[in-house]
Amino acid sequence: MVTNRLLISLIVSMLLVFSATSIAQETAVADAEAASREKFRSLDEDVQNLKKEVLDLNRDLFLLEEELLFPANSQVAFFVSLDVGEYFDLDSVNLKIDGKEVANYLYTEREAEALARGGVHRVHMANLKTGDHELIAIFTGAGPNIRDYRRGATLTFDKGIGAKYIELEITDRVKKQQPEFVIKEWE
Amino acid sequence: MKMKNILLGLLFSAFAATSLASSGLTGQAAPDFALKSASGENLRLSEYRGDVVMVNFWATWCGPCRQEMPLLDELYSRYGRVGFSLLGVNIDDNSSKAMNMVSELGVSFPVLFDSNKAVSKLYEVDAMPVTVLIDREGTVRYVHLGYKPGYEEKYLDQIRSLLRE
Repeated sequence: MVTNRLLISLIVSMLLVFSATSIAQETAVADAEAASREKFRSLDEDVQNLKKEVLDLNRDLFLLEEELLFPANSQVAFFVSLDVGEYFDLDSVNLKIDGKEVANYLYTEREAEALARGGVHRVHMANLKTGDHELIAIFTGAGPNIRDYRRGATLTFDKGIGAKYIELEITDRVKKQQPEFVIKEWE
Repeated sequence: MKMKNILLGLLFSAFAATSLASSGLTGQAAPDFALKSASGENLRLSEYRGDVVMVNFWATWCGPCRQEMPLLDELYSRYGRVGFSLLGVNIDDNSSKAMNMVSELGVSFPVLFDSNKAVSKLYEVDAMPVTVLIDREGTVRYVHLGYKPGYEEKYLDQIRSLLRE
């Protein structure tokens, strides 16, 4: 009888020890999993942060490059436009800034047609210091009665702080039946 | 000492290979240009994108050019309707001489005048004639320096293969 009791208590105690061990093991596994999950999360955050930093750096470099190549403050863009163009077939535009030739653009038939349909062509972009500058634009083409036509237009403009846009506009002067060449600054 | 020589040799050959590769236009995007043509219109290369384009640089004082031009004209009349264009760029200082030669030879392809040699410089023309073949994407695929009888066979093969692409 005593032996039986001893045996039962032994079995019960062994069972208790086993269950305690397995509980401890489970807890340890759960802890390890949580720790590794935490580790992964922090690693993922690190990667995300690094990605963001790379993107920021890329954006900054792009802006810096653009500012260095065409600083907004010294940028001047020149555009050619054609209004109606009944009295003038555009052949080429030659631009001189402060006496130095900067652009000589030949227009193909297709390009001239695009201008006649309302297109605006950026013929040149420059970086200029602040102060006064002289622009001379020479337009060649065929005028009324398909005669060779060559006309110049001059503008002295003040380059202040900030970008500047200048339009070289070819319009028709119906009264005189002649083309007109106007250079104007965009406000 | 021997090792140093080998290293120097390797360096030199690498430099030579680089300079050789950078001197050619083959495989590069064809530099765009616009020039006045004999008919009076301005022609721009980029407007021929989608066609196989041959740009032939020639001069009136160049004998092989005179031989080559009628053969090029044959290619132009044969393949012109299937997407092949030919631009003959004359580099003479005086375009009237070129006009005379064109009418004398009776060629029908567009002839452009590069009197200030800006386009010739762009295409690194240092021989006469120079024939450049550009694919439909606008990439320079073949550059031929000079002309010898039989070159037209090469042109024919290359034009046909570029048209098939």
